[in-house]
Amino acid sequence: MILYDYVLSPDCYKIRLLAALTGAKLTLRAVDFHPGGEHRSPAFLAINPAGTIPVMQDASLTLTDSAAILTYVAARSGPAWLGDDTPEMRARVALWLAFAQRLSASIGKARTHDMLQKPADIVACRKAGVQCLREIEAALVERHLMGDAFLAGNRPTLADIACFPHSMLAPDGGISVDAYPAIRLWTRAIRALPGFVEMPGIHRLHDLKPEPAGVQA
Amino acid sequence: MLPYWTPVALSRDLAPLVVMPVVVDGAELALWRSASGRIAAWADRCPHRGMRLSHGFVRGEALSCIYHGWSYAQSGQCQRIPAHPDLEPPEAIRVPVHRAMESGGVIWVALAEPAALPPALAGLVPLRSVTLDAPFDPAAAGLAESGGAWRGTLAGVAVAVLVQPLPENRCVLHVLADGAATPAALVDASRGVETLRRQAEEALA
Repeated sequence: MILYDYVLSPDCYKIRLLAALTGAKLTLRAVDFHPGGEHRSPAFLAINPAGTIPVMQDASLTLTDSAAILTYVAARSGPAWLGDDTPEMRARVALWLAFAQRLSASIGKARTHDMLQKPADIVACRKAGVQCLREIEAALVERHLMGDAFLAGNRPTLADIACFPHSMLAPDGGISVDAYPAIRLWTRAIRALPGFVEMPGIHRLHDLKPEPAGVQA
Repeated sequence: MLPYWTPVALSRDLAPLVVMPVVVDGAELALWRSASGRIAAWADRCPHRGMRLSHGFVRGEALSCIYHGWSYAQSGQCQRIPAHPDLEPPEAIRVPVHRAMESGGVIWVALAEPAALPPALAGLVPLRSVTLDAPFDPAAAGLAESGGAWRGTLAGVAVAVLVQPLPENRCVLHVLADGAATPAALVDASRGVETLRRQAEEALA
C-alpha cells in the first residue's frame, strides 16, 4: 500500500494512525505540499486529477478520499475498525466518516490559513469549526450516558480515527479546545491505544511512560 | 478576589492524570488530578518560561510542564529540572497554588478565603459542562434560585445549574440532573442544555 503523504496533513495522519493501530504496512511517498505545491504538479495530477492528498495506490487500486482509504486499510488489516457490530454502529461510522469532511472544510481550512497562508474566510471557518466541535462534544456526552466511550459505540472505530486529528489540531487554526471536557477525555483514550503514533501538534501521553532517567553529561 | 467557591468542572471530567485550563475571576488556572486522585488548582504559568501548565502532563503526584519538563509537587514547589538532574531546585521556583475542593460531584476553586461552603447537591448526578458565548439569564431559561443553584426542569428532567462566569461576557454552565432519571431521559436533558445555549447566544446576537 503506497500512501502519498504530507506530514502536517490531518487527513494523511489519520491513515498513518490507522495503519499503526492495525499493523498495516505503508510505503510512504512524501508530497511537498508546502511550499513546493507538488500536489499541483503534472506528475501528481496524473495520479489524482483533483490534486488533493492523501492518495493511496495498491496494485490497480487508486483511492483519492481519506474515508475510502481508511475503509480500505481497515478491511485489509483490521476489519474490527469498520465497526460492523450492529446496524447502529455501522451507521454511526458512516455518519462520522461523512462528518469528517465538515471538519476538513472548517478546522482544516482555518489551519492551512493560519499555518500556510492559504486563502480562506477565516471568521466563517472558525465559526463552523466551533459548531463541529460542539456537535462532537454533544455526541460524546450522549454516548457516555448510554454507556459507550467512543463515537460509534463501546470501542474505537473508524469514526474516532476520522474525527480525532482535527479535534486535536483546532488550536493551529485559532480555535480553542478548552471548552470540551468530553472531547478531552476521548482524545486521551485514543492517544492511549496500543500502537498510537504522533504527528506534529498531537503528542503521545507522556504520563503513560515512566519518568526518564537523568541525562548524563 | 472573590471570597466564595466558584464551580470550575464536574468531578467526572477531571479523571486521574488529567490537566485542564479553567478561569476563575479572570485568573487563568491549571486544574489537575494526580494518580492518587488529589486535585489542585494552580496559576496556569510555568515559572521557567511562562508556558501554560495546562498543556503539561501529570505523572504520579506531580505536574510537569510540556516545554522543558520541569515538574512540580502538590505544594507547587519545583521538584525536578530534567536538564539539571543533580540540581535541587531552589525554593523560589514555586507555582502559586489556590484553594480547590470537591463537593456534590463538582470541583470548586476559591481565590480568597470563602465565607461559606458550596451548595448541597443531594440526589443529583453530573450531566455536562457547556460553555456559552453569551451571558446566562436563568429566568429566561425558566430556572429559579434555590439552595445556591439555579433549579428547574430541562426536557422534563429536574436539573440544577451552576454558573461559572468567564471574561468577555461568556460563561460555563455546570449542569446536574435528577439521579433517578433514565439514561434516555438524561440524553434529552443534554439536548435541552444545547437548546438553552442556543437561546442565550441568539438573544445576544
